[in-house]
This record gives sequence, C-alpha cells and structure tokens, in this order.
Amino acid sequence: MVWYALVSGANDYWAIWSAKSWVFGLQLRIFSQVSFFALIGKLLRSDEQAHFFLVGNAVMVAAMGATFAMNMTTAERANGTLSLLLASPTRPVVVFASRGLYVTADGILNGLLGLFIAGPLFGLHLPWPRILLVVPLTLLVGISAYCFSTFLAGVIIRQREITGLVVNATIVTLMTLCGVNVPVSFYPTWLAWISRCLPITNGLEAIRDVINGGSWSAVAAHTGAELLVASLWLTLALGTFGRFMRAGQRDGSLEYAS
Amino acid sequence: MRAFLAGARIQLRFLRSYPDSLIPFFTAPMFTVIFLMIFRHAGRPDLTAYATVAPVFIALWWLALFNAGWSIQIERWNGTIEMLVAAPSSFAAVILGRITTTTMIGVVSFAETWLVARLLFGATVRIHHLWAFVATIVITLATMAGTSVAMSSLFVLTRNAVTFSNAASYPFYILGGILVPVSVLPHWIRPVSSIVFLSWSADLLRAALRSTPMHDVGFRLGMVALLGVCGFALGAWAMRVILVRVRTSGELGTM
Repeated sequence: MVWYALVSGANDYWAIWSAKSWVFGLQLRIFSQVSFFALIGKLLRSDEQAHFFLVGNAVMVAAMGATFAMNMTTAERANGTLSLLLASPTRPVVVFASRGLYVTADGILNGLLGLFIAGPLFGLHLPWPRILLVVPLTLLVGISAYCFSTFLAGVIIRQREITGLVVNATIVTLMTLCGVNVPVSFYPTWLAWISRCLPITNGLEAIRDVINGGSWSAVAAHTGAELLVASLWLTLALGTFGRFMRAGQRDGSLEYAS
Repeated sequence: MRAFLAGARIQLRFLRSYPDSLIPFFTAPMFTVIFLMIFRHAGRPDLTAYATVAPVFIALWWLALFNAGWSIQIERWNGTIEMLVAAPSSFAAVILGRITTTTMIGVVSFAETWLVARLLFGATVRIHHLWAFVATIVITLATMAGTSVAMSSLFVLTRNAVTFSNAASYPFYILGGILVPVSVLPHWIRPVSSIVFLSWSADLLRAALRSTPMHDVGFRLGMVALLGVCGFALGAWAMRVILVRVRTSGELGTM
C-alpha cells in the first residue's frame, strides 16, 4: 500500500512540476529561501552567522516539506478521493501517512540540495567524509517533522477551511522555536524545553555538530533525542488520527468533497 | 470603476469566508520575532527597524501574490471564469479591485509587527520622517496592487497558479532587499534589483525610520510609482492579449 501511495505520489508530483518549473520554480525558490537567511549573516558581517542561518534554514526546508503534507487531506477532498481513501480496509492513519510521503521525500531532497548548493557558494566547509552523515540525519528530521504533521493533520481534519492557515503558522512557529536561526541556548529555559520536544531541534543540532566537527558522542545524543521525539509524535499520531476521523464521520463534519 | 468596486466587494466576502486568506497576519508577527531574535542574539539592536519593516513586505507581497493567484484559480474551480471574461466589464478592473482590497488590509501587519516588537522585545519603532513614510506606504500599496495585476495575467496561462506564486516569494525578498539591503548583495545582482520596486520601497521605509536626513525622496518615490505603473500597464496589456488568445482557442477554463 505504501508502495502504491509512493507511485501515485510520484505521478502527482510530475503532474505538478515539469522539469523546467522544477528547476526554475521550485529549486530557485529553495535556493533563494536558504540564501535569504544566509545573507543576514552578510548584513551582520559574520560568516559564522551566515553558515549558521544557512544550515538551519536548509534543514528547515526538509521539515517544511513534511509540514506541507498536512495539506493532503484538503487536497484529497478537492480531488474527490477522500471517501475512497476512507473506504480503504487499511487504517486511515497509514493510508494518509503514505499519501503524504512523497511530499516529505521532496522536502528532504530540497533541503539537501539547498545545503549542498548554497553551502559552498557561501563558503561553508563541508567536511568529507563525515558530511555524508548529514543525509540520514536530514532524513530523520524530515520523518520526525512528518510524524508531528500527521498528528496535526488528524487534529484539523474536520476543519478544512483552516488547513492552509495551520500549515503556514506551524512552519513559522517551528522556524522560530527550533533553533533554526538562533541557538537553543538563546531561549528562556521553559521555551528551550518546549523546543526540545518539537521535531527539528535535536536533529538540527546533530547536523550542526557533524558540519562543525563536534564530538561523535554529542552527535549521537542529539540523534537519539530526535529519534525519541519522532517516536513520541508518531505514537500520538497513531493513537489519535483514527479517533479524529471517526468523530468526524459520526457528526458529519468530515465533508467528502469541496 | 464599478467593476473595480464589485471586485473589492466580492474580495471582502472571500476574506470573511476563507481564513486561509489571513495567513500573513499570523506569519508576519512570527517573522518579526525571528528577525528580532537574530539581531538581538548578534548584539545589533540598531537593526530593529529592519526587523519590523521586512515582515510587512513579506505580508504585503504574500497577500498580493496569493490573492492574484487564487483569484484566477478559484474562478476556474467555480466554473465562473468564462462568465467573468465574457462580461462587458473589464476583467483586469475586477481583478485589480480584488487585489487592491487585500493589499489595503495588509497595512494591519504594520501594527502587528510593531506591537510584537514592543511587547516581546521592548523595542520602540520611531518614525523620524513622517511624510516620507506615509507617502512611501501609499505609493507602495498602489504599486503592489499594480504589480499583482501583471502577475495575475501570467497566472491565467499557468495550470497551477499557486505553484507559480509559491516560487515567486523568496527570490523577490532577496532582489527587493526587504531585509538585507541591496547594497549588501553581490554587485552583479544590483541592476536586477533596481527594477524590482520593493528595493526602492524598502530602502525608503528604512530611511524614514532613521534619524539621519533622507536624500532624493521625490526621485525614489517616483521610481516606486513608475515601476508600479509599468507593472500595471504591462499586466493589463498582457491580460488583453492572453484573453483574446484563450477565447480563440477555447482553453480558458481548462488550460
């Protein structure tokens, strides 16, 4: 089922993007987004800051794709496929999570491209071969953000009018709270705790450690923390998605078409 | 004018019915927090004005761009675009009415960002050149609306207007120097920036918030207005050409 969802997603993807619009539309936007923040470092006359913003926002792009997957339920409604997916014998959370996988994969690929293309242009040193570890770590951040977004998708499944609002508000909130543009140590203690319970934060610190030559124990600790956070959001999503869905079916608030 | 006002009225109804239209009013304060955190962390409170001006441009650009994109897309989904194009009123005037309404409402983001700066960071934004500031706002809003009409004519030609408008955000934030002034950008990019009205507007607004004297205000305001008029004229012309083309080929609702 996951395989079919991925194949169907790939077809969706190439219906949306042509090779030209992918390069000059999507990739230009991603490169610009990462560069926009890296340029703040230039304004501050600090290469160190520029690299901090660049890495943070490239990883944020990966998480953004996962968060955009929240739009899938609204898209299924618009396409008239929501009722068909609900009729599937598989658990709704698995069906919907699978349908959004390609958006997450796209985000992860874009984040990595942003890092590996914009990075050298801004003079970011990518230490070989340890830089290879950034690939699975970005994958982990993307999946972690996807677990979080699947949980939120369940919460808002009956309020299709506000999906776009929630998606965008979630993205800027994560961008604000997850140590993307300032280190977690800058936050007040209570906020730092909230930050550590959100996806991205710990994984991003692991990625920064890999790039900056941090110790392997620090990388492992941050990776472990991100894995834990992802597992918690996944558990929450698995435990609640079906309930939100059934509640919507019971009271008729789950509309099947736009 | 009647078509323009009709467009404005329908847009107000859309704004009430679709909370998604209000996204920038949620994101603008958050961007203010992000930029202010960055400058505070870097020990640069002198850049506070930069942090409060940029989110306003992000909100205005988003509103103009996405409403332009969505206007066409929603008309297509509703199956009303053919009737709108066939009506004797100007299609461009209706679209301009819708875009202008949203753009005007975007001014709210000024209050939001400055309030966030004050309440969360204790930062006060002082306007040192009031008339230049007001004139820049008025001309920027008009130009923003005019440019959106040009964008909307492009959206008629694309099957997925939202995808297109998504791609037109950050490249213009850089070219427009909304946070990082154009003078910090590489030299080769500056000529391109000079034809993006945001770069003139953002520079003017930041200058109006500084205590140092402003220079060439009239010329710089004139450049913003000129680029806005060019954008609108180009958009209106392109829309006429496009409409003739799609009417001939019968592809308006499906292309």
